[in-house]
Amino acid sequence: MSKWIPLWLHKLGSPPTFYRFAGAVRPWAMGLALLAGAIGLYGGLVLAPADYQQGDAYRIIFIHVPSAWMSMFVYAVMGVSGFMALVWRMKLAEVVAMESAPIGAAFTFITLVTGSLWGKPMWGTWWTWDARLTSELVLLFLYLGVIGLYHAFEDRRQGARAASFLAIIGVINVPIVHYSVVWWNTLHQGSTVNVFGHSKMAWDMLWPLLVMTLATKAYYAASLCRRARTDLLALEGGKDWVRQIAEAEATP
Amino acid sequence: MSRASLPRACAAMLRRDLLLAWRRRGDLAMPVLYAVIVVVLFPFALGPDLALLQRIAGGVVLVTVLLAMLLALDAMFASDIEDGSLEQLVLAPQPLALMLGMKILAHWLATALPLVVIAPLLAGMLHLPTTAIPALLLALLLATPLLSLLGAVLVALTAGTRRSGMLLALMLLPLCVPVVIFAAGAVAAAQEGLPWFAPVAWLGAALILCVVLAPLACAAALRIALDA
Repeated sequence: MSKWIPLWLHKLGSPPTFYRFAGAVRPWAMGLALLAGAIGLYGGLVLAPADYQQGDAYRIIFIHVPSAWMSMFVYAVMGVSGFMALVWRMKLAEVVAMESAPIGAAFTFITLVTGSLWGKPMWGTWWTWDARLTSELVLLFLYLGVIGLYHAFEDRRQGARAASFLAIIGVINVPIVHYSVVWWNTLHQGSTVNVFGHSKMAWDMLWPLLVMTLATKAYYAASLCRRARTDLLALEGGKDWVRQIAEAEATP
Repeated sequence: MSRASLPRACAAMLRRDLLLAWRRRGDLAMPVLYAVIVVVLFPFALGPDLALLQRIAGGVVLVTVLLAMLLALDAMFASDIEDGSLEQLVLAPQPLALMLGMKILAHWLATALPLVVIAPLLAGMLHLPTTAIPALLLALLLATPLLSLLGAVLVALTAGTRRSGMLLALMLLPLCVPVVIFAAGAVAAAQEGLPWFAPVAWLGAALILCVVLAPLACAAALRIALDA
């Protein structure tokens, strides 16, 4: 049965194995994030030509768009791992879901702030109650609700399961954020970059954007690895493997 | 021990909760008083300008009812958790989702229905045109059970925690954004003499979906929150 899933993938679900795996992955992911972030920012802020309408102000998209994508991607990751946490009661899935929430909330916050910074010169207002903006704000509140619920419980695992349930209920908002510019007539523009078709964007501007997307993904991976490692140590404090790590670090 | 039939168990649950609510009549009046006071504050804050009050009346009444319901939501399972009867309910042979559905119905009858009854008075205090009152009432009749059902899921999730008041607001408010949008849309359309049936139909559709799914979700949430 399911022989196509290699054994090491199953093993990754065990906290000590994941702890070592995350420790090995984190420097590489962080290095990739810094490298891609530097290249992407240089390409976007220096190499890419100015827009014929918006001048240099459009350059904020190199931060705004990747973080907006991440705000939805992280929520999707949180929803899927929350589902796994509830169905199979995997400790690691709980950790991944709960440690994703603050990162996703941060990306959502960055999206909202950069968007309103851009909106002031372009639309003439910091904020408008259109569908895309409102649903992104609701996404931020959902993240905050998940974080709040997680910390309201005294038992962390129970809190993680309850918050995972809330995250799954909130998943309904992710397609609303994504399709809001299609379903409603909004001030926010429609999507310009299309993964499966022709993008309506010049290559000079597109490649830094894609590199920045890679950078944010790698940063998320690195950050999640770090946070999950810390959380696993706290959660498994009494276990043997944690004691071994602590002893190994105590004797240099 | 004979097992009570399902309709009888439902009726007993409903009667028990309504009786408990009736014994504490003072608590029932609180959300209504709160709503009246909030609505009275608006003319003081904004000035008694008729046109302005008329324009905001529908939205103010909706949001006030929503907040008043939020205030009462906390108590939905609180006393049952304290005396352990909720755990008995989880262990009972009858399906938990159905029993919780009855509890939600009782809670709606006890807290939301008085608010719906008083809503025309609140609307009148803000000079909402009488032509918009039927739309307001219908929107409230569909929106308040929706809020009760959504709220019940979240209350069940916070069942195992100590401080849940503000947390409940933080979790419920994003989920009730569509409810407020459609209910307010219906009232605004009625106020301008436009056809207002479409948003009400949306509310009805959402209510049917929630009547089916929310008790199940509520039962699942309660099981998560109670197993320590």
